[in-house]
Amino acid sequence: MIELKNVTKYFRTNQGKKYILKDVSITLPDGNVGILGRNGAGKSTLMRMLGRIEFPSKGSITSPNSFSWPLGLGGGFVGNMTGKANVKFVSRLYGKNEKEINDIIAYVRDFSELGDYFDMPIKTYSSGMKGRLSFGLSLAFDFDYMLIDETLSVGDARFKDKAQAALKKKIESCHILLVSHSMNTLKDLCQTGLLVHEGQLHYYEDINDAIARYEDINKGKS
Amino acid sequence: MTPRKPLPIFLAVVKALFLRELGMRMSVGKAGLFWTFFEPFAQVAMFILIRVAIIGATGSTTSYNFAVFMAVGFIAFNMFRNILSSSTGAFTANKALFSYKQVKPIDTIIARIMVEMFITGIIILLFLFIGFLLQYELKPENLVLVFAGYLWLVVFSFAVGLVVGIGNTFYVSIGKFVGIFSFLLMIASAVFFPLESIPPAGQEILLYNPLVHFMEMIHAAYIYELDDRFVDYTYMLKWTITPLFIGMWLYVRLEKKIISQ
Repeated sequence: MIELKNVTKYFRTNQGKKYILKDVSITLPDGNVGILGRNGAGKSTLMRMLGRIEFPSKGSITSPNSFSWPLGLGGGFVGNMTGKANVKFVSRLYGKNEKEINDIIAYVRDFSELGDYFDMPIKTYSSGMKGRLSFGLSLAFDFDYMLIDETLSVGDARFKDKAQAALKKKIESCHILLVSHSMNTLKDLCQTGLLVHEGQLHYYEDINDAIARYEDINKGKS
Repeated sequence: MTPRKPLPIFLAVVKALFLRELGMRMSVGKAGLFWTFFEPFAQVAMFILIRVAIIGATGSTTSYNFAVFMAVGFIAFNMFRNILSSSTGAFTANKALFSYKQVKPIDTIIARIMVEMFITGIIILLFLFIGFLLQYELKPENLVLVFAGYLWLVVFSFAVGLVVGIGNTFYVSIGKFVGIFSFLLMIASAVFFPLESIPPAGQEILLYNPLVHFMEMIHAAYIYELDDRFVDYTYMLKWTITPLFIGMWLYVRLEKKIISQ
């Protein structure tokens, strides 16, 4: 469960305050939520706030659950360290002991299919490879919620299928908050929907309703 | 995932950051590693040569071993300078890591300071080893006080580094300015000469510099022939507590901004 109380979020820009959320109070029941909204509506900011690396300007967001870091494209990796060293680092952040760390390394090495690149510096990776490492790494931990921002489209077709399958298995034991512009992915993985539009959050118990509303907005109907 | 308590999280994060920073420092290749540890020797040797050139070999005969005097001061000052410069860039360089919510900006400074202390420790051992080979008299007058002086200097460096690191996150010029300034400080911090060797007018001016007090304290504790008559411990304390409070106050106010910068 995620509870937003009077949450306002704005950024100060040269053109004055840009509002992302305006006095939003909403309680989201547990579930797999697809997040929709136009570019710049504030989907990523919302994800970052849930991941506690961005903070509301006013109000509060509370939840008894644990959240992953926002899974974006290769963020949080250090370029001149190897993939393996980065995996080790993140495992240590989560307080894993040496044995657990070795298990996680073995899992990510196997899942990401990076071959020799796993032991090479991240700066030699393509963005698809970074995404694979990032995704594999996040699967190795157990969160209540995984925050996924468009990362499912990484890698080639075969890896995409594999990632999708792994994620489906994963959401048997956890929930996801998924930002995606692919309606099929959203329908496939999420049951409920959250639409970010004009500073407000609209919750739909059926993802199909959220998608229908989103498509209306895109057609210019208000 | 079962919730963890703040202290274990902090310890796990600092440990992870420490090992990561250390790994990065050690991964610079053999040449890079060689210079990390050899540079201090080269610099101390250079300053001894400069001194001999200015005063002449005979004028430089002191009742104590001058090379030891220089090394003790230089290692301490070098540690201060390295802590300051690595704290300056700690927030901006580790920005990517703030996407893990358990990594607080201040953890990155703490980890970097621990790395600098670790490297300083190795440098001290190497200097002692070389001094031993040269059969120098290496026994300090008061080992506990030398350690206390070094540790106090670490706290002072942390305090100043925190203020500068926060400032540098919002105004990059601050870091550049401090970089230039810390080089000038080396000459004006009584690293390479005892304060008693310069005219009283100069002493008075230099004593405004808190680092002079640290250097005099450490020199006095190590070398039998020198004492701490110029050291004003209250002045040092003021210079430690003031930046520490300013730094902490700024940090508490700006932590969230630093994370989401």
